[in-house]
Amino acid sequence: MALLVVFIAIQFIQPAHNKSKELLATDFNKLFAVPDTVTAILQNACYDCHSNNSGYPWYSNIQPMAWMMARHIKNGKEELNFNEFGSYTSRRQISKLMGIANQIKDDEMPLSSYKMMHKKANLTKEEKVLIMDWMNNKADSLSANN
Amino acid sequence: MKNILIGFAIAATGLAACNNSSNQTADTKQGDAKSDTAMATHQQVKQVTNDTAGTGSTPVTSVVKFPANELITGYLQLKNALAKDNSKDAAAAGNTIVATLAKVDIKSLSDKQTNGYRDIADDMKEHGEHIGANAGKIDHQREHFEMLSKDMADFIKTFGNGGQTLYKDFCPMVNDGKGAIWISEVKEIKNPYLGSQMPDCGTVKETIK
Repeated sequence: MALLVVFIAIQFIQPAHNKSKELLATDFNKLFAVPDTVTAILQNACYDCHSNNSGYPWYSNIQPMAWMMARHIKNGKEELNFNEFGSYTSRRQISKLMGIANQIKDDEMPLSSYKMMHKKANLTKEEKVLIMDWMNNKADSLSANN
Repeated sequence: MKNILIGFAIAATGLAACNNSSNQTADTKQGDAKSDTAMATHQQVKQVTNDTAGTGSTPVTSVVKFPANELITGYLQLKNALAKDNSKDAAAAGNTIVATLAKVDIKSLSDKQTNGYRDIADDMKEHGEHIGANAGKIDHQREHFEMLSKDMADFIKTFGNGGQTLYKDFCPMVNDGKGAIWISEVKEIKNPYLGSQMPDCGTVKETIK
């Protein structure tokens, strides 16, 4: 009973949603010419936590789910935000690009808990290779320019 | 059932709006401060580029109160831990680097140094944090070490070698055949990327005196 009361009570404390319509000049796609195939994968598998716009499934309004998601999004954006990629110095952009490729290679990202709920985030081998190659090539070309 | 839950959740969101406003404000402030810093850094970088174009040189002077030696020492500890395949010691060294960066007295630097330093230091800090937080995942630590090594090489270029002879080493086998560099205090090769697998892979590319 007490548990039920707590469960109902926490429903009233909802974190703010991560939603912004603004297209920033620092956006990843404004900064680089990103092929549509790459953009599609990033949006399906990464943007929920690594951009200013998260997709919210129905269960995201139920606590404690909403808190868990809000925390993932906060941490995710701190680490990497595709909408604000241009605000990083070029040194850090290179680091981030290589980091993305590495995280995919090591199967650390997308998080397995996220992949459980989002089928599209389960990248095929080809999709992984596409992302890794593009990121690494971009990092190399930026390094060459510096 | 689903609709009831959604309806309930919507009601809850509305009701909670007041409760939440204080948290939200705090979050927004934090976000703003961050993007401000990022913007500032970005602008400064531009300045540096302009300055460099103007004078055509980067100042290399030693600075009082600036822990260049400590940073290099922290990096070398990390490098040696990785060469011994010791992930735990590597994590400790990563944390040491973060701690050293945290106590840098930026005021003791000249303007030009500050700009160059922030760019390198922000990146180093991030790699140090990841290395520190990933004891047990030595492959992941090595990925960040690769990028940290580039930062360290640039750091030494700008701020000097802290008075000790250092070597810039290169191993062509790692990083999917692209190779990677590292900085060492000894002439003998002790590969931090491959460890005991192939401890002597690599060559000295540059001696920094």
